[in-house]
Amino acid sequence: MKRPPVTSINTVAKRLVGRTDLLISRKSVRDSLVSLAGLIGRPVLDLTGKEIGRLVDVVVRHGEETYPPVTGLIVKVANRKSFINGARISKLTPDSIVLSSLTINLVEFERRPGESLLDADVLDHQIVDVDGLRVVRTSDLYLAPFDKEIRVVGVDISFVSFLRRLFPGSLSRRATPEHVLDWASVASLTDSTGVVRTSGTRSALSQLRPADLADLIEDLAGREQGALIEMLDPDLAADALEEMEDDELEGLLRGLSAERAAQLLALMEPDESAEVLRDLDDEHRESILSSMEKATAKQLRQLVSFDEELAGGIMTTHLLIVKESDTVAAALKLLVENRERDSSDGVVVVDSKGKLLDHIQTVELIAAKNTSLVSDLIAKPFPTAVAISTPIADVVEEFSNNRGSSIIVIDDKNKPIGRILADDLVDALSNKTQRGSQSNGVRS
Amino acid sequence: MTTLKIPSGRKLRLAAFLAVMGPGIIAGLSDDDPAGITTYSQLGAQYGYRLLWVLVISTLALIVFQDLGARIGVVTRQGLIGLVRQKYGARAGSFSAVALILANLGTMTAEFAGVAAAGQLFGVSRFVTVPITGLLISFLVLRGTFKKAERVFFVLSAVFISYVIAGFMSHPNWGSAFHGMIVPSMPFNKSAINIATATLGTTLAPWGLAFIQSYAVDKRLTRADLRLLRADVWVGSLLTGVIGFFVIITCAATLNHEHIFTITDASQAAVALKPLAGTLAKDLFAIGIIGAALLAASILPLSTAYSVSDLTGSPAALDDKFDEAPLFYMTFAAITIVAGGLIMIPGISLIWILISSQVLNAILLLPLLAYMYGISKDKKLMGEFVAGKKALTLYGAITVLVAVCVLSQFWFMFHL
Repeated sequence: MKRPPVTSINTVAKRLVGRTDLLISRKSVRDSLVSLAGLIGRPVLDLTGKEIGRLVDVVVRHGEETYPPVTGLIVKVANRKSFINGARISKLTPDSIVLSSLTINLVEFERRPGESLLDADVLDHQIVDVDGLRVVRTSDLYLAPFDKEIRVVGVDISFVSFLRRLFPGSLSRRATPEHVLDWASVASLTDSTGVVRTSGTRSALSQLRPADLADLIEDLAGREQGALIEMLDPDLAADALEEMEDDELEGLLRGLSAERAAQLLALMEPDESAEVLRDLDDEHRESILSSMEKATAKQLRQLVSFDEELAGGIMTTHLLIVKESDTVAAALKLLVENRERDSSDGVVVVDSKGKLLDHIQTVELIAAKNTSLVSDLIAKPFPTAVAISTPIADVVEEFSNNRGSSIIVIDDKNKPIGRILADDLVDALSNKTQRGSQSNGVRS
Repeated sequence: MTTLKIPSGRKLRLAAFLAVMGPGIIAGLSDDDPAGITTYSQLGAQYGYRLLWVLVISTLALIVFQDLGARIGVVTRQGLIGLVRQKYGARAGSFSAVALILANLGTMTAEFAGVAAAGQLFGVSRFVTVPITGLLISFLVLRGTFKKAERVFFVLSAVFISYVIAGFMSHPNWGSAFHGMIVPSMPFNKSAINIATATLGTTLAPWGLAFIQSYAVDKRLTRADLRLLRADVWVGSLLTGVIGFFVIITCAATLNHEHIFTITDASQAAVALKPLAGTLAKDLFAIGIIGAALLAASILPLSTAYSVSDLTGSPAALDDKFDEAPLFYMTFAAITIVAGGLIMIPGISLIWILISSQVLNAILLLPLLAYMYGISKDKKLMGEFVAGKKALTLYGAITVLVAVCVLSQFWFMFHL
């Protein structure tokens, strides 16, 4: 699928580059950078300079702080891996770590929630470069003292730095700050216990357009993909999911828990959700649907059961329905309440038995008196309505005859059950063109 | 529920595609490239039916590891080299990339050697055929008309299925063939070890492992597609084995029978097709060799370039521009030019290149198999698809077998 040229990349990039609060842009921080890749395997010394052991990994805590602080070290002492509290670090240099005490307690490392291991979980793993909108691997991570703690301040994604690590000796440990990105401009996703949450990356991600986010999600590996979804605000995640390719989305849902999948599908446009659900196998679909609210699940079940070659299969069930006896104020209130998720341009009016009477534009409602009844506004032109079982080709004809932006779908009792927007039709038709010869029977 | 179960268009197309021309089948037919055919021919000519069991084991190893590669690709959605970097670090990642590049360079050289040998059957100098082939492949692949060309190469290389017919027509000794398949016997000498190692290296080629995995990643195959992909891989691997089997028994029944024990040029290997094609044997052989060589030579530099860019974290493909993926295009060019250049060295023996490159394959296969073994048992990466005890034993046994072959090879190289 071709996407329109992305203008927001530049805006996001500018916003990030132009940020003066980026730590890496401070000279004091740049001068004290220590390469994590170089530090692994280096000696950990006690107060007197005696070697206690060799560094295996560095533990950091991800929380609300943008730059995660080091909470501990994993050190190999006499062939056993032990944990040393980060508070005991007195000096960090590119060649060694000096502790502030003579005696240390050697304890087994146990991962606490929100912690990750920089070498095992982040270095050489995929991360999202929010700035450049791409998925990359971390070539190195940089630590520096800041705000009373040693923190991860930068990440290096350059190939040059990757090659540097192949060399023996001190050359491999030399920091190369010219290639460093600020930690705030990337999203790190791996952690074996669950999710790495950094408030900085989350807010940076939330600035992206759903379509760009969808591209990033598609570029990530399975586990990282799940982690990114977990990190996102559900509404934004649902928007991004709508932009994803069908088969990609199918694969993604397989990697999520039924509860999370249900949550996201319920937030997506019903017709888009139904399209994905239709492609899943029965068992998986049922497990997702049974984790949803009853009403939503029922609605989606019905949508899924419709043939995607017919009107019922491509419609969205999201309709704003008012009774003819309702007031204009009530109708407007309904529109306002649904402004977040609905792109609808008005309300559908039904009689006391729920049968379709008219579709009233928002503008007409605004122009009318708040106290007047909706029934007063019912007038020509009446909306075009089609039955659930109308073939897509006929829907297209109705569209071109009426030049409207939507068509209402009614059941056999004349009750409105959905709407087909012009873009639903475009989606349906473009899917069909991709499928080629299979669509032969539909054109009448 | 009253849902009509209609397979979506994509699934149908994928099934149809995989059945006809999936990555497993392409890899399978490309395994029967000039190097493969020459190695199998030499094995049959020199040892008759006796070493058929080496092919049987190589085919089983191919099935097992291609299947594993497909699974790793689908589950982790990362290429082999990138995954090695993530799990084992920068040095291991680079090491595996270098191993793969060298192995692929060797095989690419063998593809050019195949084209050169086929050209010589008709008296055309390799100084003409090799540059033309290099330019043709680069043109087709970089211009994007590769997909259509691939189909043509595919059909041409399918000429080797004629070995199956030739096999029957050459009246092989089926009893000896059966015996050779199931009863291992191994003359412990330099040439026997050499040809057995080459057979292992040409059948279970390093590039095929990286190719199947990156294919799954690049085409974004999901777990739902895994069954289809695995079926494709099994069929493709078996096809390699079946064609290899018939090449060996045909050569055993013709060349070995007529006491031609060492193949020194392509015209000798073509003699094996005489029972089928008579005086046209040479032409049939040349068509097959050229088709298979072009098929493999189009995929090899692409697959290598993909793996190298995978090391950097952002796997590139043909739809990237040069300045977006310079490493991708430079690798592509380097592989093609160096391989072509090696063949142009005056006086170099084509048959030697064809077989030695496959020995090199086996040597460089070793670290890749070890890394795949490690990845397969990593619960964090493989999740529910993590390898169980039985699978691990199988992977381990194959890896050890390759190691034994390679060590014997070294032993003969340096001590005798």
